[in-house]
Amino acid sequence: MGDNFQNNKTMAPVMMDYEFKIKTQNERSKVEDLFDYEGCKVGRGTYGHVYKARRKDGSDTKDYALKQIEGTGLSMSACREIALLRELKHPNVINLIRVFLSHTDRKVWLLFDYAEHDLWHIIKFHRAAKANKKSVMVPKGMVKSLLYQILDGIHYLHSNWVLHRDLKPANILVMGEGPERGRVKIADMGFARLFNAPLKPLADLDPVVVTFWYRAPELLLGARHYTKAIDIWAIGCIFAELLTSEPIFHCRQEDIKTSNPYHHDQLDRIFNVMGFPQEKDWEDIRKMPEHATLVKDFKRSNYQNCSLSKYMDRHKIKPDSKAFSLLQRLLLMDPNRRITSEQAMQDPYFSEDPLPTQDVFAGCPIPYPKREFLTDDDQEDKGESKARQNQQQQQPNTQQNQVQANNHDHAANNAKRMRMSGQNQGNTGGGGGQQEFHQQQQMMFGGQQQGGGSQQQNNFQQRF
Amino acid sequence: MAGNFWQSSHHQQWILDKQDLVRDRQLDLAKLSEEEYQKIFNFFASIIQVLGEQLKLRQQVIATATVYFKRFYARNSLKCIDPLLLAPTCVFLASKVEEFGVISNSRLITTCQTVIKNKFSYAYGQQEFPYRTNHILECEFYLLENLDCCLIVYQPYRPLLLFVQDIGQDDQLLTYAWRIVNDSLRTDVSLLYPPYQIAIGALHIACVMLGKENLKPWFAELNVDMDKIQEIVRSIINLYEMWKSYDEKKEIQSLLGKMPKPCPAPQR
Repeated sequence: MGDNFQNNKTMAPVMMDYEFKIKTQNERSKVEDLFDYEGCKVGRGTYGHVYKARRKDGSDTKDYALKQIEGTGLSMSACREIALLRELKHPNVINLIRVFLSHTDRKVWLLFDYAEHDLWHIIKFHRAAKANKKSVMVPKGMVKSLLYQILDGIHYLHSNWVLHRDLKPANILVMGEGPERGRVKIADMGFARLFNAPLKPLADLDPVVVTFWYRAPELLLGARHYTKAIDIWAIGCIFAELLTSEPIFHCRQEDIKTSNPYHHDQLDRIFNVMGFPQEKDWEDIRKMPEHATLVKDFKRSNYQNCSLSKYMDRHKIKPDSKAFSLLQRLLLMDPNRRITSEQAMQDPYFSEDPLPTQDVFAGCPIPYPKREFLTDDDQEDKGESKARQNQQQQQPNTQQNQVQANNHDHAANNAKRMRMSGQNQGNTGGGGGQQEFHQQQQMMFGGQQQGGGSQQQNNFQQRF
Repeated sequence: MAGNFWQSSHHQQWILDKQDLVRDRQLDLAKLSEEEYQKIFNFFASIIQVLGEQLKLRQQVIATATVYFKRFYARNSLKCIDPLLLAPTCVFLASKVEEFGVISNSRLITTCQTVIKNKFSYAYGQQEFPYRTNHILECEFYLLENLDCCLIVYQPYRPLLLFVQDIGQDDQLLTYAWRIVNDSLRTDVSLLYPPYQIAIGALHIACVMLGKENLKPWFAELNVDMDKIQEIVRSIINLYEMWKSYDEKKEIQSLLGKMPKPCPAPQR
């Protein structure tokens, strides 16, 4: 037996040169040697864990986001994420700085710039304030600036034929204090989703509930392909949520474990807001795979009195406002009629005062708290997140995703240097910020206060 | 991703200089002539092609895998990692990047075993494919590092389709040029020239083969560096010349014998 063993061993060819292996090992830097991040977890989800990190050598004092990808090795979604983020470069798309491969435990780490805020937390903050009848001071153009930058980032992705496929407030990050203050960063593209099987991954996602609130009607009716229009619908949902602080298509969500795209309650919610689509408004609806189910399950007459203008009017957004008119173009039921990101950026809403700013906070103090560190107690967290699901949305899917290169050296890395986009005039901080400051007004974002405050506030809301 | 080639890592990091390429190969060229070196790459490109076909991958994925393979050895000697291991690793990684469904580990290994046994016994005799999943996975990390995480590779196929469309759809021309692009994977052109130039080079050869004199004005109107196109054409024609007098089945065993091989850890 001993002989056999010996034999097998000597017969196997040497796969890798010893000298090459040692040399590569010595040149490879380990994430734990370069960064401090222990105890600094700020996000956890199906994608893995995200830590707030600092360089150990103090060569800079910036915060970084370190994402440890769930599982070991290179899953297809990890490959897609690295491959695409390595190529993408836009001020409003998260930037991958470096990839670390940990050979011993086969973990993959991605290094990004740190974004202190995201729309999930920002909207949650406004909801809490509203519930406590407190107001939040933000510049009156903030929602417009947020939307403009989201559209700018998505336009870049779409013109590179990258579809996001999972847009929701938690995936829209906003930079905190620093050189990129108040800049939107789109994160967590749905890298794992196959073009031809959009719903497949849903069944695999474990305890975190996958939200359907941002899902376009054609997907709920069984559309088999992701499209740009599907991303646009989600942006419309986010825009409405920014205007009102309420998820526009909020729907009770059980733990959805089905791989069936058809979701009755979610469609019912959409029709309750939008009204039931007229044949002339969406001719191809009859071609949808689940059209027969739709006809069987729904009665047009139940939604006779529903319309987007009535819904938004209840939330103090006037149907004759520019904000409403843009929202309506983003939330067209027929995906073929929905506007593109490019058309949306040309909308009169963005040329009306206040103009969008590069720092969405327009130089004003940032009212939102910083991210809190999460404990490592998984048990406790699961209970908590269950409770959270019921009252609000899915776990903030957090932070990060940027990407970039393995080419760590900034100097060597011109290819990936950040370019300022032509559309954004630079007024981050400094003089521009000052100027903005004068325009700033107090307002509450989506509030419904009683008394004297409310009228003033309505004015501002209209002007979003 | 069909984004902008000019801003891609492919254009910015992986269009290599001919002199650098030759210099980086010195270690291998001390043991092999340039022609022998090319014959060895030709052989492993065939392995990648057949593996890809057996796994029902699109040609685009196969081409990407082949370019990964070439990029790795553009920076490293053949002795660093056994190419018989790196070839399937490239196929595995490319299939994930191109989002064409994950190949299960066991299916990949089984396919390697069958392909080596049934199609390449002239090179490996009775020897079985010696690697297992854990080898591929370890190798994959080294490959990704050496590629500097540049995984999106632009191929000549898309520009080729556009050019043929522009010429006025000609299926015979497209078929010929498409095959020439496939053949170009056996040369260094994918390391040296942008894919649109390779597409033009392939079209040029196809036109000559088919005697399409009438397309001369079309080429003349292209705003491209014709010297580069001529270099590409020459590389591919040289490959065809080499094939004429080369019997891989007879020569490959001795070539593989001469190939620099990984050295094990020194014995204590």
